[in-house]
Amino acid sequence: MLLSLTIDLAPDEIGAEGFRHFSDRLRAIDAIAPDLVIFGGERDTALIPGRLEGLVNLPWAAGLVTSAAVVAVLPALHGIPFHVARALSAIDFVSAGRAGWAPVCANHEVIDRAYGQQYAISDAEAPAKHDDFLRATQALWDSWDQDALIIDKASGEYLDSAKVRRVDYRGPYFSTMGSLNAARPPQGYPLLVRDMNDLSADSELPADVVLLGAETITEAEDAIVRLRAAPGTANAAILLKVTAGRSLDLPFEVEGADGMHLIGHPDAATVAAARARLPARTQPGDTARARFGMAPPINPFTQKALV
Amino acid sequence: MSRANGRLHLWAFLQGIGFFPGGWRHAAATPEAVFDRAYYERIGRMVEKARFDAIVFGDQLQGRDAAGRTPGRLAIPTLDPFTLLSAMAGVTEHVGLVATVSTTYNEPAEVAAKFATLDYVSQGRAGWNIVTTAHPNSPLNFGETELLEKSQRYKRAAAFVEAAEVFWGSACGKKIDRAALKSDWFEIDDTLDFVAPPQGRPVLVQAGQSGDGRDFAARTAEAIFCPAPTMEAGKAYRDDMRARASALGRDPDGIKIMPGLALVIGGTEAEAKARHAEVLELADDVLAVEYLSESIGYDLTQHPIDKPFPIEEIVARCEFPAEGVRAQLMPAVEAGTAIKDFCQAYARKPRGHGIFVGTPEQMADHMETWIDAGACDGFTLQPGFMPFELEVFCDEVVPLLQQRDLLRTDYQGPMLRDHLGLGPLA
Repeated sequence: MLLSLTIDLAPDEIGAEGFRHFSDRLRAIDAIAPDLVIFGGERDTALIPGRLEGLVNLPWAAGLVTSAAVVAVLPALHGIPFHVARALSAIDFVSAGRAGWAPVCANHEVIDRAYGQQYAISDAEAPAKHDDFLRATQALWDSWDQDALIIDKASGEYLDSAKVRRVDYRGPYFSTMGSLNAARPPQGYPLLVRDMNDLSADSELPADVVLLGAETITEAEDAIVRLRAAPGTANAAILLKVTAGRSLDLPFEVEGADGMHLIGHPDAATVAAARARLPARTQPGDTARARFGMAPPINPFTQKALV
Repeated sequence: MSRANGRLHLWAFLQGIGFFPGGWRHAAATPEAVFDRAYYERIGRMVEKARFDAIVFGDQLQGRDAAGRTPGRLAIPTLDPFTLLSAMAGVTEHVGLVATVSTTYNEPAEVAAKFATLDYVSQGRAGWNIVTTAHPNSPLNFGETELLEKSQRYKRAAAFVEAAEVFWGSACGKKIDRAALKSDWFEIDDTLDFVAPPQGRPVLVQAGQSGDGRDFAARTAEAIFCPAPTMEAGKAYRDDMRARASALGRDPDGIKIMPGLALVIGGTEAEAKARHAEVLELADDVLAVEYLSESIGYDLTQHPIDKPFPIEEIVARCEFPAEGVRAQLMPAVEAGTAIKDFCQAYARKPRGHGIFVGTPEQMADHMETWIDAGACDGFTLQPGFMPFELEVFCDEVVPLLQQRDLLRTDYQGPMLRDHLGLGPLA
């Protein structure tokens, strides 16, 4: 069983003292060694982008949260694939393959207003744009083969030109030519997290980790059967959401759950209590994908998946 | 405080593996390290110990490929600047962290949130090098086909910064100026709930050269990164920017002029010159041809490189504007110069910046002369290759600058604004 949680900056964690408090909180969580830490906010039980911008926070946070996979919640309907692909490549390098992303549609009405009127979109249309955003971003990662870099000083060969390409992705919402000006991330694709409380829940694209909110054992087990039957999530790690302060029992009672995701601003004591019931099964140094049992993604341009 | 802060400001401009295109091949270069967190942590600590104002990372919004072929002998561009600076923030306490971010293919809400976050995780050390994007391949990465015309790019940049200011003000509890969120470029209805940046906003940095660029910089910038190949050119630029700032009612001391300076330092002048020659030699013919190919958007490696440029074929298919490429190559075409010879000369003096080659003592003299002449407020150092040239500078030139009372021996405050001698925001 895997242990995961959401962390957001608390409203009072500002100023020099608040910053120290936030840093100490991350160190305390790190000492408990959860498997996954998602940096983002919550609305009801759904993930939303947090008060720290996900991609800029993550490299700093990865210096304090040193063993878990670290995940940024991103606004899928507002992000720009080229920037996101490039940043996640760099983050995956500087976190030694521990990076992940959770592109969400939740809270888009609020974010639409801040990005401008051309971003306004209906809930009905949002999932299609979410999927296009994911495809465009992944296509840019595919513009480099995993083994493109050579870096041989003596011969002067830096990379193999035949292993970098323009992908010329054209989707209904996003177009991007590539090549990306960043190498394919060490994991191939960073760990992809999907929230079943999001508008993107019905996406058929593959996800590596699924967060599932359920009130009862039956509800959870029915949902897991459906997820296992869908090609995109058949192999995903399914983590049941548990709100801090409530019983931690549900994930242990549900057939087929892979772990627990703590929401509701869990403090270190809550995370430690959960860890006590979920012995760590992974090793520090594992990449995020390895930790969640995900094979390296296949690059469609080469049909190869090298690590 | 200004005296204790020193008369000379230092920025480290860390472009990938260094200034020279062949530098990654040097025995003392560590090209694999640019993919490791430990490398950035070590560089951050080193630059902070040397009392630099800031670390700057440049940016591009396109791959290095020319017409689809990515060069095989040139190093990868700098990884995402925000990522590297955020990682460095965690192991430093004073040094400023300046990210280059374009206003052409971004949105104010996102950029404002990113800088607020960088300023938060660094506790007041973020700076924004505001650029516009003019590379012909960039629009194609963002669902556009045509570049914005130059004056339009600067108009968008001005509206972009104005809107970003509203987001930061709102995060700091100021009343929202809704009119500033509407322009020819943006139709923004509201701000976002993100963390308040400790400095109020990042320090604003610019690199304007043209008339439009200088005008924008004079209105906006608190520091300017510019090429200055000679002291006279530096002084003319600084005088012009100070006059422009004064005419706009700004304190000219509120804009620090920080020309780029590449460096190769040796224990003796002969040693420095030898290493400069060595680094230039590492740019072999094919590397040099790839380097020019990138800058005209045409893959020259498909032609015999010991023959002259097939100019008509090139201008018919190059991705950069044909007339500019023709003007650049025509002297070589008329002289019958071989492709590789022209490219070798081009790769030896990249990007129009000054290159200093000499001893630590000579470098300190050089810097002092420029400062005394009013040619700059400091330098944006571009190490010949990394990390070696930067280490030598920090170990051997920095103590000389401190002995001469040019460079601070201690930071005078925790934030980037403090290092630049800028007061708190109004």
